[in-house]
Amino acid sequence: MATNKHVNAIVVGSGAGGGVVAKELSYAGLSVVLFERGGWVPYAAHGDDELTAMRSFPLACFFGPDNERYRRVAVDQQGNERIVYPNDWAYHNISACVGSGTVNYGAMAWRFMEECFTMKSTYGHVEGSTLEDWPISYDDLEPYYEKAEWEIGVAGDDSKNPFAPWRRKPHPMPPFSHNKEARILEEAAKKIGYHPFSIPMLRNSEEFDGRPACVHVRNCVGFACPVDAKNGTQNTVIPKAIDTGNCELRINSQVVKILTDSNGRATGVEYYDEQDRKHTQTADIVILSASATETPRLMFNSATNLYPDGIGNRYDWLGRNLQGHAYCGADGLFEEEIYDGIGPGASVAAGDFAHNNPDVIGGAVLTNEFIKLPYAYSRGFRPPGSSQWGREHKDFQKHYYKRNASIRGPVQEMPNFESRVEVAPDVLDHWGMPVAKISGFKHHEDIRTAEFIAEKAAKWLEAAGAYKVWKSIPGTGVSGSQHQSGTCRMGNDPQTSVTDKYGRVHEVDNLFVADGSLHVTNGAFNPVLTIMALGYWVSDYIVKEWKGGNRFK
Amino acid sequence: MNKENSFDTLSRRSFLKVSAIWAGGAWIVGVPSLSANPHRVLTESEAEIMDALADAIIPPGEYAGGKDAWVTRFIDQQIGRYGYLQHDREMYQTCLPAINNDCRNEFGDVFTRLDKENQAEFLKAVEAGQYNPQAAERGWGDFTPSAFFNTMCNQCMMGFYGSPIHGGNRDYVSYRMLSLY
Ligand SMILES: Cc1cc2nc3c(=O)[nH]c(=O)nc-3n(C[C@H](O)[C@H](O)[C@H](O)COP(=O)(O)OP(=O)(O)OC[C@H]3O[C@@H](n4cnc5c(N)ncnc54)[C@H](O)[C@@H]3O)c2cc1C
Ligand code: SF4
Repeated sequence: MATNKHVNAIVVGSGAGGGVVAKELSYAGLSVVLFERGGWVPYAAHGDDELTAMRSFPLACFFGPDNERYRRVAVDQQGNERIVYPNDWAYHNISACVGSGTVNYGAMAWRFMEECFTMKSTYGHVEGSTLEDWPISYDDLEPYYEKAEWEIGVAGDDSKNPFAPWRRKPHPMPPFSHNKEARILEEAAKKIGYHPFSIPMLRNSEEFDGRPACVHVRNCVGFACPVDAKNGTQNTVIPKAIDTGNCELRINSQVVKILTDSNGRATGVEYYDEQDRKHTQTADIVILSASATETPRLMFNSATNLYPDGIGNRYDWLGRNLQGHAYCGADGLFEEEIYDGIGPGASVAAGDFAHNNPDVIGGAVLTNEFIKLPYAYSRGFRPPGSSQWGREHKDFQKHYYKRNASIRGPVQEMPNFESRVEVAPDVLDHWGMPVAKISGFKHHEDIRTAEFIAEKAAKWLEAAGAYKVWKSIPGTGVSGSQHQSGTCRMGNDPQTSVTDKYGRVHEVDNLFVADGSLHVTNGAFNPVLTIMALGYWVSDYIVKEWKGGNRFK
Repeated sequence: MNKENSFDTLSRRSFLKVSAIWAGGAWIVGVPSLSANPHRVLTESEAEIMDALADAIIPPGEYAGGKDAWVTRFIDQQIGRYGYLQHDREMYQTCLPAINNDCRNEFGDVFTRLDKENQAEFLKAVEAGQYNPQAAERGWGDFTPSAFFNTMCNQCMMGFYGSPIHGGNRDYVSYRMLSLY
């Protein structure tokens, strides 16, 4: 077992949260090792292959992880357990590469609204839910949202969205314009009193920070960008961190355990390199940014005598409250072609139903859908009862591929205690570590809200001239997936949360979490900009402490 | 996992890694070079049944059907030693002859020789689970006819609508059908 030179900080995971933390700490002069289990995945490695991209991945996940070394256990609502591989939806994969989902995401760059941070005080107690306010407010996070927008790069204009939360500074790039479909939808929205605007995007509407403007390809979401116009952590904060000379990015390195001493303090991590050789890396501070499934898994797998049920799990809150979004919406068919091939497709939004809806709790922002690629379109997006194969299916595909539109909304979920990540002691990964086991369900309020939101989406498509419209309502199975969050809830009370409001694990002064796990609730919006903002927020606390002389000893 | 399988997966993993390293800018994707030396898994007669199924799932017309779009080639390649669907190899090897057999019992002739209408009717019954009872006794092994149908149908769509680098969608025929090229 080889040991490495001691450093100030270890960051586990180079995705949305971890990339930001690595940059902030290395800029402040701390020596950092940023661990990533995957490698770099450039566009040229996968091209425009729909079957391995991160949108429908029926063959494999080109952005990792691989099906050979990774697996999880999925538990259905009847309690049946099944071993699943990364390219199965029940695995709840984001990605495993430098940048993770931020390489191939759709790049919607939402700030949560003020109410998203105060769900319990806004809507009251919800039976069967662990709905709670965040220990921090939108006002606390606002400067960090701004930092994420300016350092990573967002195009948008909130002045067109009357429901946008307040901000000090505009977005750094002008908003994107609409393709034909979105223009039709924009007009229709105005007609029925919705307030359409251009979705803020982590993509370049003009040259930004030395990288070019977007050229609007058809396949954006699920793919790396061929011209590097999509902004993730892999082409912004991570290279900047490396440039300081203080940060070493260690790729193809699987962290398997957080090491703690007899006083319960974190001393470093144990990991395997690409040749499956075991190493130890020690540090003064350890930050977990491995995603809302892998961060709790690591904490479970690091149990010791002091932490018999896993680190941060004294009160059984670790891995609980797994959330994603209860995606819903409507699809419509048009007489005329509305497709002009100008990607990525999603560009028009309406914030009218994110909050303050009659009779339902929370809500969702509405947006039009990304361009559907041919295989994905062959598997869904058809009116209920349509044939799934044969002549009629082929004719439908041919006729409607350019004559359809969809509106979707990420319904904010009511967290519940039974939706959770655990580890399966008897199912091991390639390195002999217990894998994540995922179980739970959606709260019934989520489905009710989804019905409400889908109705609003259907109304929008009808106003746009769709002659056939049908709704899409999610099932009641456990959420998580690419928007996974909530499993290391932040809070002021150690008995009902896993970390404090700075992401510091209760009882372990030098162990932090900075990823989607921290979310108390997951907003009526896609989560990534909030995860990035939390990366800045957690880092800011660590850096201030460090500069004040705290060596986390 | 048997010995042959573990060799398969290992070599595929290192192969993917190599391709990622080489990918400086050119169009070097994981699998195309493999099609130069395809390791045929399906026998002649299995491939013939698969062709007929592919054409029933995606019928020929103004644009190629499943067969001419190389859907069978896609499946054959993917269940082969470097493919992504190796875990379905045994399923195809068992279920293709079994479906032909069930068809003969029902219609007095093998699937490949049935006319299009009867093929579609038969497949709808398979899809609906009508042939599920006692399937093992009729050569389906551990597989369920309706489940096989769903998997096979889904994989036909992959072969027809997915990227040609995986062995199907000959000359981007489905993309041309959708006027994407
Ligand atoms: C196709 C797609 C589209 C999306 N579109 C959007 C969008 O439009 N807008 C939006 O807001 N969000 C979007 N998302 C979601 C967004 O990408 C995620 O919310 C975000 O990446 C989660 O951040 P995270 O830091 O929690 O985890 P991640 O970004 O997943 O980072 C975790 C990292 O840790 C690494 N890791 C895990 N375990 C270990 C270990 N043991 N050792 C070493 N490394 C490890 C992983 O490989 C990964 O790189 C999309 C995601 C996908 C996949
Ligand atoms: S639309 Fe294309 S060019 Fe624009 S960011 Fe997405 S992948 Fe890049």
